[in-house]
Amino acid sequence: MLKSNAQPANVSIEVPRHRTNRFIMRDWPINLILAFFAVITYIPLMVVLVNSFKDTRQFFTQFWLPLWPLHPENYGKSWPVISENLINTVIYTAPTTLLVLVVSALTGYAFARYRFPGREILFFAILMIIMLPGILLVIPMFTQIVSWNWQNSVQAIVLPWASVQIPFGMFLMRTFFETLPVAYFEAARIDGASELQLFNRIALPLALPAFATLSIITLLFAWNDIIWPLIALFDNHKYPISIGVLAFNTTTSTDYGATFSAYVMASLPLLILFSFTAKRFMAGLSGGVSL
Amino acid sequence: MKSNTIAPVAIKSRVKKGSVPVYVPFLFLIPAIILLTIFRYIPAFSAVYHSFTDWNGTSASNWIGLEQYNNLFSDSVFLRSMQNIVVYTITRTLLTTAMAIIGAELVYNLRSTQMRSVWRVVFTIPLVIPTTVVFLIWRRVYSGDIGLLNDTLRLFGLDGLTRAWLGNPDTALWALIFVGFPLISTFGFLVILAGLENLPQEVNSAALLDGCSRFHRVFAIDLPAMRGPLAFVAILSINAGLQEFAPMFIMTGGGGPVNATQSPGLYLYQQAITYGKYGYASAIGTILMLVTLAFSIFILAARYRRAIDVEV
Repeated sequence: MLKSNAQPANVSIEVPRHRTNRFIMRDWPINLILAFFAVITYIPLMVVLVNSFKDTRQFFTQFWLPLWPLHPENYGKSWPVISENLINTVIYTAPTTLLVLVVSALTGYAFARYRFPGREILFFAILMIIMLPGILLVIPMFTQIVSWNWQNSVQAIVLPWASVQIPFGMFLMRTFFETLPVAYFEAARIDGASELQLFNRIALPLALPAFATLSIITLLFAWNDIIWPLIALFDNHKYPISIGVLAFNTTTSTDYGATFSAYVMASLPLLILFSFTAKRFMAGLSGGVSL
Repeated sequence: MKSNTIAPVAIKSRVKKGSVPVYVPFLFLIPAIILLTIFRYIPAFSAVYHSFTDWNGTSASNWIGLEQYNNLFSDSVFLRSMQNIVVYTITRTLLTTAMAIIGAELVYNLRSTQMRSVWRVVFTIPLVIPTTVVFLIWRRVYSGDIGLLNDTLRLFGLDGLTRAWLGNPDTALWALIFVGFPLISTFGFLVILAGLENLPQEVNSAALLDGCSRFHRVFAIDLPAMRGPLAFVAILSINAGLQEFAPMFIMTGGGGPVNATQSPGLYLYQQAITYGKYGYASAIGTILMLVTLAFSIFILAARYRRAIDVEV
């Protein structure tokens, strides 16, 4: 009895595959390769996390593994500086993201839902901006904000940042709005809805997944850009986190524990935010982006 | 998936003529037009115009024709930076696109949907780490004294290969190119994976029935169908690569050993901010724009040549 029970289990593993299925391996080799890639991707990050809890002597002993006692006071050293930069970043990125969402939705909606003279030319003219190297515009924009006395101001960061993201946002939103069934809009129109109501009551609520994607992309851009704030801001206390962590790195170059703790704290807010929005972000991308 | 989004095909009017006033769509466009005119178009034209002047930001600028460009093409640092950035952009784009395809295909071929979403999350998480932090971490990876790479090499007994990767002119640019290795965790990976998952399942089943192996299917079906997303990923990568500033600025400082990692973006910044040569910097930016456009058009042409898009 026992023997006959054990037999089928063994056999099922060794069932000869059809010739054409030779490359259809079981999933474990794929998982193994992916795990290998993941380990290499995560090792540098883990090393930073581990070393953010070490003092300098421990760091020089070895840096691969944690050493006791842990030194959480490293975080106390970087917190006063990094927290200020993090707050600045929120002050800059929140209005940027909001502006990108609103303007991209309006623009994408107009291109997806209406036909009007100059539609193709306008669309292409806006799309071309994606290919404009941002660094080319930095100098004229700098002289412009100086002439308006906008140095160190929030709008000097927010408006240019939003303008960088709007062309791509418009493209994403247009692609998304085109996938919505026309019938929704026609039905509402027959019921007497105004054009603004169509946008507010039908298009916007359905666009939430695309909004999630666009806001994360905008957030990532704003979180990462260093060149524009480096040029438009002259005050250390106004720097966003991308420059703040760089500046902190220079001032504490020999205090490795504190430096690494600053890296961790600079990364944490987006990691936490992303862990809540991961599903929506991916759902928004699943419509696909294509040229 | 709409495949021809760049030049929209005329779609049938969704609204009967006259039912919507012709100005309505333009009302929707006003905010974008205002913002983009002030912060994109005017600066772009201003930069191109000023590349023909001796603008230095303070005194009035004089039209000097092509002089800035003449100077640029005899400036060995600029020429070196262009050479660097072309090598950097092409190898990095090929590398990231290839790894994105490999990563996406591996995940796509998993039979368990749960494992698919696990891996997708695993490779998306590193994407949200600020790039400044990423570059600072990789500076440490490549460090000569206490660096992860050198330590790993010693672990395998390859002491002879250890070096200060960023301080050596022969390796500095390549060190920058391989930042983020194995480069699975990229935006391109997510785009291609999403594209693959949008492919109709029937195509796969039909291919399998016809005796097409999964490995063969990647080249016969997946890649041709991924032309649009691939072009998108490549153009974004080339655009970002050509104007790269942050990795050079953060990892190798002012141009690296004997300008081995000097990039036009960084050189533009130095010329403008350090020396106040706005006209010269604008000429660098204008050339950068032309090169970017040339690359983008090349990619789009390659994407639409003999391309018969199956509506999927």
